[in-house]
Amino acid sequence: MSVLPLDAADDVSTEVVPPTQRRRGLPAVLRRPGPAIAVGWLLLVVVLSFTAPLWRPYDINEQDLANRLSLPSGAHWLGTDPLGRDLLSRIFTAGAQPLLAAALTVLVAFGIGIPLALIAAERGRRVEQVISRTTEILMALPSTIILLAVIGVIGVKTYIVMAILGVLISAAVYRIMLGVAQSVRQRLYVDAARVNGLGSLRVNTVHVLPAMATVIAVQAAQLFGIAILINAGLAFLGFGPAEPNPSWGIMIQDASGHVYDAPWLLVPTGVVLALTVVAANVLADALAGKAAHVKAPARTRKTAPVRVVDGTPADPAAALEVRDLTVSVDDGPQLVSDVSFALQPGRVLGLVGESGCGKTMTARSLLGLLPDGVSVSGGSILWQGRDLVGLSEKQANAVRGREIAMISQEPMVALDPMFSVAYQLIGPIRRFRGVGRREARQVAAQLLRQVGIVDADRVLKSYPHQLSGGMAQRVCIALALTGQPQLLVADEPTTALDVTVQAEILSLLRALVRDTGLSVVIVSHDLGVVADICDDVVVMYAGQVVESGRTAPVLDDAAHPYTMALLGANPHVPDGVPMPTRLASIAGTVPAPGSWPTGCRFAGRCQFTQDECTVPFPALPAHGEGSVLCIRVDEIHDAGVRWHADRVGAETAPVPSAPTAGALS
Amino acid sequence: MLGYLARRLALAVLTVLVAVLISFLLVHATDGSPGAIVLGPGATPAEVAAKNAELGWDRPLVTQFFDYLGHLVRGDLGTSIIDSRDIGQDLATRLPVTGFIALFATILSGLVGVFLGVTAAVRGGRFGTFITSSSGVALSLPVFWVGILFVYVLSISLGWLPATGYVAFADSPVDWAKSLLLPVLALTVGGAAIVARTANAGMRDALQAEHIRTLRALGTPAWRIRYVHALRSTSVPVVSVLGIQFIALFGGSVIIENLFALPGLGQASQAAVSAHDFPALIGVVIVATVVVVLTNLLLDLVVAALDPKVRTA
Repeated sequence: MSVLPLDAADDVSTEVVPPTQRRRGLPAVLRRPGPAIAVGWLLLVVVLSFTAPLWRPYDINEQDLANRLSLPSGAHWLGTDPLGRDLLSRIFTAGAQPLLAAALTVLVAFGIGIPLALIAAERGRRVEQVISRTTEILMALPSTIILLAVIGVIGVKTYIVMAILGVLISAAVYRIMLGVAQSVRQRLYVDAARVNGLGSLRVNTVHVLPAMATVIAVQAAQLFGIAILINAGLAFLGFGPAEPNPSWGIMIQDASGHVYDAPWLLVPTGVVLALTVVAANVLADALAGKAAHVKAPARTRKTAPVRVVDGTPADPAAALEVRDLTVSVDDGPQLVSDVSFALQPGRVLGLVGESGCGKTMTARSLLGLLPDGVSVSGGSILWQGRDLVGLSEKQANAVRGREIAMISQEPMVALDPMFSVAYQLIGPIRRFRGVGRREARQVAAQLLRQVGIVDADRVLKSYPHQLSGGMAQRVCIALALTGQPQLLVADEPTTALDVTVQAEILSLLRALVRDTGLSVVIVSHDLGVVADICDDVVVMYAGQVVESGRTAPVLDDAAHPYTMALLGANPHVPDGVPMPTRLASIAGTVPAPGSWPTGCRFAGRCQFTQDECTVPFPALPAHGEGSVLCIRVDEIHDAGVRWHADRVGAETAPVPSAPTAGALS
Repeated sequence: MLGYLARRLALAVLTVLVAVLISFLLVHATDGSPGAIVLGPGATPAEVAAKNAELGWDRPLVTQFFDYLGHLVRGDLGTSIIDSRDIGQDLATRLPVTGFIALFATILSGLVGVFLGVTAAVRGGRFGTFITSSSGVALSLPVFWVGILFVYVLSISLGWLPATGYVAFADSPVDWAKSLLLPVLALTVGGAAIVARTANAGMRDALQAEHIRTLRALGTPAWRIRYVHALRSTSVPVVSVLGIQFIALFGGSVIIENLFALPGLGQASQAAVSAHDFPALIGVVIVATVVVVLTNLLLDLVVAALDPKVRTA
């Protein structure tokens, strides 16, 4: 209780709530039963405590000597104390002081902490450093003991003592509020407000403080509970209101003396005190939004219903054959519908499309690593003749890493920050290859050299935060190679990297395919990447394959309007052609899962849409072994029409040349 | 790393100095008069003044402060104005009592809290909700109330443990342990709840981290993902909260020692407060501050050892 465990300080969301969303926050909290009861109880205690002299059945000193230490009865609803005084009357008479004192502590703590935080956030680093160091010292002082020393010198003056507690706690409040104030200030609208000539005080009161409201409310509720506990603790030690005046602490001290002969005495006061603090904390949790839903984390899902799969692969040469794969939100809409494609050993297949087209879901289903609440609801994934759909977690684990490996989009967060590169490589190497630690380390260094890391020994000793993005992605690729897989699933492997590094990683992947015979499924929204590295391409739109085939014919002679549109939107401008002033994009957005039209899903954005496009239509063969899903494909092809990128370009914003008029500075 | 430690150390020394200054000023700046306290209400102003002079309280404040600091550096905390006992020696015998209670309660809170919090995060569902909400209640309960409930259940109803009193380790190690058990259990209720919440939140965050997917994609066994990788990330916030707990339990010892009649630091501070024993008050503040500061330093070292980002900074 000494060092103010404002324990939620770390995990309370310090996310700034934009002013427009904030309004609805408070009442929404009260719509849930827990916080509603908590607020109800707090209100009840406050009202009963402050009105106690008006309604209490007995005077606080009225002794009913015949009924000492009585249990609850008609005359004394909560029983009586050792002197026969009515507990109900005394508990609520005692309530006013801790409630007021705790409120005072909260007021003082925030009255000091918030202005300091605002000043530190506004005045820059020097001021912030001075204030922060001072508060660090304040926070390291043993506050309970200091409070006791204060009492030892000035005597039992509850409100002064609780105000001093507020001063001590203000350091912790400052720490939390500084983080929030700084993040609010980084927001554009605060700076914009400054530019508009609002004074510092106004910027703070109009923009910064309101954005901090949620965090302030959470901390205030929590601090209120802590202050009540400290106040009661001091009273328990005898440093509270003197007899015959009641206090919660001294009443519990009384009860402790009668725990042998009248244990009931412990109940009423303790429960009222505990419930009040519990209510304050429940309210704080609800405001912080963390008690809301404790979501069940990843559990091994029940395996998908067993389906009879025609085991004969359509393409005997294919290492991977995805057939009519459907991925859905459990009890919800489909995310991927009837996706089929095949991949031969040693080839690279690109899954392309805009965000929200189901590329990543398709890729992740290959490893059985779909997010919680999403699963494969139909179709099959034949990997070397075996269906991966419906494998148990254990069976799937035997495939992951050993046969199929994955590298992900953001290499900087794909490695465990707590462990060295060596540790993270050696673990899987030992597991996959059954070698000892020393040999595993040699293999690790060798793998790093294989992915183009010259200084393998230094990188092995490094931690992820010491690596650059490109280096981290190389390590991730080395990690994926530890199990000597035959298939590598790469989800946007270059998106998060600098352009020059992108090219290096792509050429590394190409070299690996060439040298090891690895097959790769690469997810990308970038047709440049696809053209660069893929042998085959599968264009996805709204969960479906709209076009597939060898890369060269698909890109050179796109049959589906969506592929044409993607090509038109691709900013990779050929050399010698001036960069267009307007970047072409495809008008509209990908329809969300669950709102896909029955006919062609691209119809709403297509320049060639006609009435016939609203009826379902099967895929047609195209590009040799590929397919295309468009009812008008022949018409469009025969007419030789092209997608007019500039037609939609007019609807998009011009490429920003320079920030407009200082407003963003 | 070394620079970081040097800065923490400097701040620690500064903190102790500030604590000395605050408590010194507090005692002297108000019209606290040890003479009046020692001699009681019957004494004449002249007698009080004479007594104050005898205790050295008539000297200039700055002289007294540096005099005190001089003694402090040599480990001399002065003598009580009530019973002339050596404050340093007195607190030295009391420190282990409080220290062991706080240490045991911290360890137990850590074990129970980490177990509950991690299990709740891993199993989730109703069990997870139950653990998180009941820990929310447990950390709100006043420790003295919980203590009395434990006395009622464990000593009175079941008769398993002595209700109050302290047995020195030297007299009987078993009875010593028994005499500490109830206070430790009472402190553990709230402590474990706070640790459980921290461990739960940390574990849930860790299990949702991006790098967990990398591990799963490598077919890493579930136990290894949970208890090697996710638990390791969780360890940093848990260790921090354990440090805070130890400090908090040390401060909270006043109440628990009062309840269980234990001769620790808390009891000494309560007595010093009640008797207005100024030198003893300053002594208690200093000792408590030193404990806090040392704990924080240790915490910095442990966190640095656990977190490569801090270690390699």
